[in-house]
Amino acid sequence: MRDLRRARLVLALLILTSITLIIIDLRGGSGGPLQPLRSVAAAIFGPLERGAAAVVSPVRSLVDGVSSWGDQQDLIDELQAENERLRVAVDTNAVERARVEALDALLGLASDVSIDIVPAQVIAVGPAQGFAWTVTIDVGSRDGAETGMSVLNGGGLVGRIVSVGPDTATVLLVVDATSTVGGRLAGSAQIGIVAGSGRQDLLTMQLLDPLAPVESGDVVVTFGSQGGRPYAPGIPIGVVESVTGTPGQLTRVANLTPYADVSTMSIVGVVVSQDRVAPRPTVSAVPLPTEPSVSGG
Amino acid sequence: MRWRQALLIITLLVVAVVIELTVLAPLPWWGATPPLVLVVVAALAFAFGPVTGAVSGFVGGLLLDLAPPAVATVGLSALVFTIVGYALGRVFDADERPLWLTTVVTTMAAGASVIAGAALGGLLGDERVRWEDVPGFFAAIVVYAAFLSLLCVPGIRALSRRVVPESFRR
Repeated sequence: MRDLRRARLVLALLILTSITLIIIDLRGGSGGPLQPLRSVAAAIFGPLERGAAAVVSPVRSLVDGVSSWGDQQDLIDELQAENERLRVAVDTNAVERARVEALDALLGLASDVSIDIVPAQVIAVGPAQGFAWTVTIDVGSRDGAETGMSVLNGGGLVGRIVSVGPDTATVLLVVDATSTVGGRLAGSAQIGIVAGSGRQDLLTMQLLDPLAPVESGDVVVTFGSQGGRPYAPGIPIGVVESVTGTPGQLTRVANLTPYADVSTMSIVGVVVSQDRVAPRPTVSAVPLPTEPSVSGG
Repeated sequence: MRWRQALLIITLLVVAVVIELTVLAPLPWWGATPPLVLVVVAALAFAFGPVTGAVSGFVGGLLLDLAPPAVATVGLSALVFTIVGYALGRVFDADERPLWLTTVVTTMAAGASVIAGAALGGLLGDERVRWEDVPGFFAAIVVYAAFLSLLCVPGIRALSRRVVPESFRR
């Protein structure tokens, strides 16, 4: 009987402590009073997760290889077809490209914006039943990672860093339900807000201009923020799959398929700087060469 | 006090958290991630009773709430796992029960924890909670918890007997 009373007391105390923690965390938000606790956990679990990931990463790549066995042949066929299409496109676009290159050189864009990327490995993933789409990567404050930096992989935008430990950083993926990114349609330059859906294969883009022309196949890139944080500009996010709502309707939403496949991600890059090497040169209007004056006459 | 018991529990829970996040979660499982931490909490509750069960649940849940890449509200898993640890410890106080029974009870607790986690998250205004995902999580977690408990419950019981034999002298 005494044991049972003691057990109930312990239970009540622990439940009370949990509820207190929940309330403190909800009130404080990020950077609140529980931040030191999270930092300590990141400092302790970061190296442990790195070590464990180093041990199991060969196993993981093996499992990934086996589970995608059947798709390989399809993928090869698809890539060959795409290669053909692209070769034709490259050949026909040569003239356009020359013109664009000339314009780029004129503005000095190509050389002035340099993106530095630190490669990182995904070492831990949040459990699916927690609803949050977050991963841990193996770069931390010692490697120059800071909160707010963009994370991308070969496909496109992956997410942004939301917290940093000494050896690791936590990335909120674009598909997380709380993630929002400023997006721009690459063709028409229309802007909108790209929000995660909580599903790994769907993003939604709310267009700011309800009359904006948008159709499936349009590419969406990041709009960019000041200083490249939280998102650096021009990173591909995804491609428009379908559009709900008719032009002029107040809420017009495009459904996107993200380029980065978050389920099979292992190597990602953190955009650590996007400095201009030199201030962008101004393009001043050069007076047109005047006709050689004909003297006499 | 029984510092060896405390050390055993902490070690098991830390290892379980690291394995769940770095080994299990990145793999392409059907439905959901196998709930290793929860099953270890259940096994500890079966081995040591309700007090240790509740404490293990609290610690395990808190570690899962804090270890990167966690971003959800701190204390949520701690609350759910505390109740699971206490309840399983109460049901199975002291006696050794047949394996099938511990397995069934663990899977029930795992399924309940999914629903409790989603309900608590929704109640606290977590916009990530998607109820249409819950049935899939539930079904997957029940299956994974059954497999994991077949391994963990006898294993952790045997380990506990070796490390802290004084707890089992009855």
